[in-house]
Amino acid sequence: MMTTGITAEDLAHISRSSEDIRRELGVDPVSVRAISDPAIYDLEREKIFKKTWLKVATTWELPNVGDYKVKELPVADASVLIFRGKDGNIRAFHNVCTHRGNKVVPTTGFETFGRSRANVVTCRFHGWVFSTDGPLRSVPMKERFGKLDTACLGLREIHCDIWEGFVFINFDAEPAQSLTDYLGDFGKLFGGYPYAESTTAFRYSTVLNCNWKVAHYAFSEGYHVPTIHAGSLPGFQGVDHRDFKLMGPHASSTIYGAGMDTAPSTLAFASMLSNTERHRPRPDQLPPAINPERRADFQFELPNLFPNFIIHLASGCGYPGMSFFTHQFWPLDHGRTLWEGINYFRPAQTAAEQVAQQHVNALHRNAWLEDTATMEDTFTGIMSGTIDEMQLMDQEFLIRHAARTLDSFLAA
Amino acid sequence: MTHPTLPAPFADLAPFAAQWARPSENARSEIRWSASKDDFKALYDAMMPRLDDILALLSQHPATGMPEDVHNLFLLACAFAEASPHHELYGGSSAVPYSFDARRFVRTDGDAAL
Repeated sequence: MMTTGITAEDLAHISRSSEDIRRELGVDPVSVRAISDPAIYDLEREKIFKKTWLKVATTWELPNVGDYKVKELPVADASVLIFRGKDGNIRAFHNVCTHRGNKVVPTTGFETFGRSRANVVTCRFHGWVFSTDGPLRSVPMKERFGKLDTACLGLREIHCDIWEGFVFINFDAEPAQSLTDYLGDFGKLFGGYPYAESTTAFRYSTVLNCNWKVAHYAFSEGYHVPTIHAGSLPGFQGVDHRDFKLMGPHASSTIYGAGMDTAPSTLAFASMLSNTERHRPRPDQLPPAINPERRADFQFELPNLFPNFIIHLASGCGYPGMSFFTHQFWPLDHGRTLWEGINYFRPAQTAAEQVAQQHVNALHRNAWLEDTATMEDTFTGIMSGTIDEMQLMDQEFLIRHAARTLDSFLAA
Repeated sequence: MTHPTLPAPFADLAPFAAQWARPSENARSEIRWSASKDDFKALYDAMMPRLDDILALLSQHPATGMPEDVHNLFLLACAFAEASPHHELYGGSSAVPYSFDARRFVRTDGDAAL
């Protein structure tokens, strides 16, 4: 197993009891104004989404030199081109031709994948050619420009760095912190797990008519599980949501579970997966400070990587064979959100393993359908002006913490 | 109508393969969304008693590059893997109860044929 050399004791200072949480974050209801007020959204764009580190890709999405991904990010008025260059390094650029501003790589939808075999991209408007590492390589009829400083006309680069195979960008011209410093203890808590081995991804997205924080907060607590998932998790015997942790702008917690009635087909698929070395529960691979007692009923870690990313690290212990799953919440405007959910597995070696992964993925997708069912109604309810505040219990502390963090960024 | 060819021990499941087996998740979802309670029950009653045998056969084949008859069985098994909760958990409903509209929920890479 990979190791970062971090021990559970090294991170003892991030650990919080329910009493600590109440003392530190308070117990009062939290205003919903940050959700309801469109003016707040304008501030969020400037002070959060154009200033903080944002996850936009994984290294294993771009395994080969010349592979690229284009991510459309309306929240930052940006189309971002993420390239693995000839030197093997991943860089991010504005997907904007320096000639007159056209998109260099045409896109469909919010994410576009492709590969440049010649290590160049050519703007379809006038044929300007850029290297995958940025410089402007050639300009048709270059001699007909009275003045053209091609050395200064490469693709405009965006700060880009990688943590554990997750590719982050920062739109700030001079980011206040490096990615390592921004992640801080979060990077230490979640570091060391072999994320990049889980290259099989089941990716879902939907556009929700709600503020991005409504969607984010709905996935930030375990309080809802026994009620909203009564259909997809029958005979559910409750969750034990504990091991609260605060890490600057980020926070985390652990979902342990008493299990549920397993349907016959699920039992057959899960047994098959748990009999394989690649897909069996691997509590031993968890970073040392996650489930430090190595409890057998560990389900997954539930964090918030501020502002909009969740990595549920399961290591095969929760949903059978599931390595981890992620959520991301991208504002499209004040009342519209692109939600992206991805289930990650280690690659299936046999056809039977692949079928079993389809089953586990379907169960989890169906639970997500139950989660997303609340979001538009919640936003409509908040926008009606009926409530001014959210009432938050101990196990909703990630919401309380995220709301406070948001306020502090907006006040900065 | 000609049915997909299946490995000999499972030849009798060919009508189910014709009805349910499709090469992509999005295509299988279309079939599932239009299925009735009786459709789910019939598939379940045919497949569940044979599931261990089907998985045993599919365990002998790598995830890509199956012979055609095995591939047809594999796609039927994928359809069953996604359909079984509707019989076991959702009372035969083609939609997850109390859920978001599944048609708005896009498998971003789900048209990749298996």
